[in-house]
Amino acid sequence: MTVNVKDKLNVVARVRSRAQLEQRVSDLEADMSEMRRHNLRLAEIADVVQELLIPMASRDEAKVQEAIERFNKSL
Amino acid sequence: MQVRPLRVRSVDERGIVVSGQGDRAVDVLFDDRRVWSFWVRRDTEPDRLGRRLAPWPTPLRRFLDGTARVVVREPGSPVSHFDEEISFGDGRGRIRVVNGRGVELGFDKSGKLVPTFETRERGDIVALVSATRSVLDALASAGVRPFLGYGTLLGAVREGAVLGHDSDADVCYVSDHENPVDVARESFRLQRELGRLGFETSRYSGAAFRVDVAEGDGVVRGLDVFGGFLSGGRLYLMGEIGVEFERTWIHPLTTCRLEGVEMPVPARPEKLLEVTYGPGWQTPDPAFQFSTPSRTTRAFNDWFRGLSPNSRLWQRRYARHVHQLPRRRRPSEAARRAGQEAHRLGAPVLDVGAGRGADSLWLARRGHQVIAYDYAAEKGLAAAAAAAREERLALEVRPLNLTDWRSVLCEGARLAHSPGPRVVLAQHVLDATDTQGRRGFARWCAMALREGGTLVAEFHVGDRTEELEWSISEVDPHQLAESLTESGARSITHTEFERAGRPTVRLVAEW
Repeated sequence: MTVNVKDKLNVVARVRSRAQLEQRVSDLEADMSEMRRHNLRLAEIADVVQELLIPMASRDEAKVQEAIERFNKSL
Repeated sequence: MQVRPLRVRSVDERGIVVSGQGDRAVDVLFDDRRVWSFWVRRDTEPDRLGRRLAPWPTPLRRFLDGTARVVVREPGSPVSHFDEEISFGDGRGRIRVVNGRGVELGFDKSGKLVPTFETRERGDIVALVSATRSVLDALASAGVRPFLGYGTLLGAVREGAVLGHDSDADVCYVSDHENPVDVARESFRLQRELGRLGFETSRYSGAAFRVDVAEGDGVVRGLDVFGGFLSGGRLYLMGEIGVEFERTWIHPLTTCRLEGVEMPVPARPEKLLEVTYGPGWQTPDPAFQFSTPSRTTRAFNDWFRGLSPNSRLWQRRYARHVHQLPRRRRPSEAARRAGQEAHRLGAPVLDVGAGRGADSLWLARRGHQVIAYDYAAEKGLAAAAAAAREERLALEVRPLNLTDWRSVLCEGARLAHSPGPRVVLAQHVLDATDTQGRRGFARWCAMALREGGTLVAEFHVGDRTEELEWSISEVDPHQLAESLTESGARSITHTEFERAGRPTVRLVAEW
């Protein structure tokens, strides 16, 4: 059986295209994972701002310490 | 063709040898107590005679010394495949599978040898059901609509009772929010609300936390609170479910009786049970294992998990020695160096990742003011804290989780609030956390050392770090130095040496 050059090139192109597609899927998964991870970080920061920033803005030392201790204990 | 029925060929020191076709779950009883369940194909390995061996699970092996009436039977049924007196070891005495307090143990659905409900007194179950009801009420008063979930829902709907092979209670809610940020924030708020009401809680992901309920004889039962949300027609319920689901199958909630107590359940509980346990949910399976699709696991990992990597390992290690002082009396080299720096600067030492507190105690006994930090401080540092109280040492124990920004920012803010230089000791903590934890550490140092001070850190480097049970990811010393410089470090020196055959780095940074 003879395999002509054109068929050979087609096979190579298909293999290359599949490898590229696999790489793209893997890259997309990694990118999506990276973006998704921001959710938890954002939630943590929003929680700190909500629970600590307001008492801290009051500049009342006792209230600041109390808010920090209460928040720390709740983690 | 006739299907060969299940036969138990032998029970010995290796395990249980079975033959027959098909796969199914069986219970193993010692003297009428279920201790283990397994699937006859999934959980077994073939031998040369075409039979299959179910090896004894490792945690059970240490109990196999003595004699027991071993029964292998269909789950929850009187039909037995094997029923004989079997001797293990020297065969003296009856085998008792119990913990240190004499409480009987069995394998639960997560494959852990724990006090399952079937080994408990009626009074303990009533207490747990009552505690579950209190947690449900507390969550409802905090503004969500909680319901029984997972094994607890299965037990309530199928049997009106807790499942014998279960060991905890599960409570779920489906949030009104549709994105993970708000779902996590809501979960944080709920945990705080329960704390305010006096419940002991601990968090293990951004959308789930545990409420500890103590039973009469000291057994602490975990009650898990799982958050969920609907988005784009899919239900995501921490930590196993991510499926197409109708909102009306959850809300409005209805009720079902659990051990005679009215409990909230989803509008169509059978729909949730089917996506959780498959279409066969009505058939008991004490050896059930989740086969969560990787898409769901990936989503939960990204959205909510990674808040305290390896914490279970450390909790388990420390739990064995909660009341014992660390055996190590000699300080680490890093602790000696931190002590010299503290003396030079007249500054307190902050021992981050203090473990069981050997270095903290040594420093405090030499007259230094010390704060011992750990994310498993409650168990790991309990004995050191007690010794410090007794010896009137200036040693304070505080929790710090480097992978949780809330912990890093809160404790950092507390320190930034009181002026003065400090010495930070980080002995094998940077190689016991992940990249996120090392970034958290640098951020925390920026706050703790803003008025000057020194960091003394030691960590293993190189490929062989992975061999350590507690290692998570390899430290890149240059990347670490970069983070520390960005966080205000003025000068950084590295020294490389070998410890226990592993390349190790001592990093000293000045602020």
